[in-house]
Amino acid sequence: MMDQHEDPKFEQWLKGAAKSYHSPLPTPREEMWKRIEDARRNSHVIELRPWMRWAVAAAAVLILGIGIGRWTANRRDVTTGESTPVASVPDSSSALIYQIAATQYLSRTESFLTSFRTDARGGTSAARFAGQARDLLSTTRLMLDSPAGKDQRLRSLLEDLELVLVQISQLDPGRDGHDTDLITQGMNQSNVLPKLRSAIPAGPVPVRTEGAL
Amino acid sequence: MDETQLIARVRAGDSAAERALYDAHVDRVYRLAFRLAGDDALAQDFTQETFIRAFDRLGSFRGDAAFSTWLHTITTTVVLNGLRKVKRFRQREADIDDARDIGVAQRHAEPDLKARLKQAIDALPEGYRTVFVMHDVEGYTHEEIGVALGVETGTSKAQLSRARAKLRVALSDFAGEWIA
Repeated sequence: MMDQHEDPKFEQWLKGAAKSYHSPLPTPREEMWKRIEDARRNSHVIELRPWMRWAVAAAAVLILGIGIGRWTANRRDVTTGESTPVASVPDSSSALIYQIAATQYLSRTESFLTSFRTDARGGTSAARFAGQARDLLSTTRLMLDSPAGKDQRLRSLLEDLELVLVQISQLDPGRDGHDTDLITQGMNQSNVLPKLRSAIPAGPVPVRTEGAL
Repeated sequence: MDETQLIARVRAGDSAAERALYDAHVDRVYRLAFRLAGDDALAQDFTQETFIRAFDRLGSFRGDAAFSTWLHTITTTVVLNGLRKVKRFRQREADIDDARDIGVAQRHAEPDLKARLKQAIDALPEGYRTVFVMHDVEGYTHEEIGVALGVETGTSKAQLSRARAKLRVALSDFAGEWIA
């Protein structure tokens, strides 16, 4: 028996008509292969096993607790003048915190640059992209000065991102799309998005600590 | 050389085998990415990410299913996650625009059938749209879709049926096209 929603004539027509939906261009095999090879050469992903993710989460909570403890202890010292012994943060744990922050920052930057490359051509406000690039630029420079910036590969990626973000932050809303095209071309040539993506492994952001760091 | 041998050579670090595996599958991956993303730059990004992940994780491919099925599971994950990120970003932009446009009347020209069809497909819920595009546009079977999306075959069929029903309602102005 035919389902009440079924309409063979409509379905036949729809299958034909829908072929025009997002009709693909010829596959750019060589360009993509070059970027894949380049990204794989530069990738630096450290896989964490599931139990290690829990360990990372536990370490993050521990560090946060120690941080709050130190902060409140310092406040007491100011008011009472007494010194209070406080647990120190292990170097490896504080590095981990920087890594978590770096991963979150990389995810935000990836979303921003992906949207910029797609939407800037569509005439979305250059001023808004410029404002967001300035915000990310501040974070990029903080990251470069943090312990996360001591990792040579991450530093190289951060420097590439800094360059792109500087260019976007200086976009002039009064000019045509030429500047946007130049920035997009530069991004493609420097392969910055594939490098960025290969630095961010799959998974929800809080457990993406295994990436590029 | 069959695909099992090719995969074994990729695992052994043979770069020519990597390229051969890429050549064998890239068209279908790119087509699906393009159909779902509707943008060449995004489709290229998603295709690249799919192959980067596939090569990195080839060690976890056990061969229980066809390599193409495994690869399309990665493709749909990469594309849908990527599109969600772009959508979230655009939504934030749209919220700002909405706030600015309060009180500004908007006029839209009546679109033609092709544009209306695109709008209607774009407006489908993500799950419906994905199944519709994979089945009716790209010709995947319900079994392939079920594995790629991690759902039962029956769920894929049900989502396709609902997608078509929604499209029929959305395109009812053009009923003469298919009744004729």
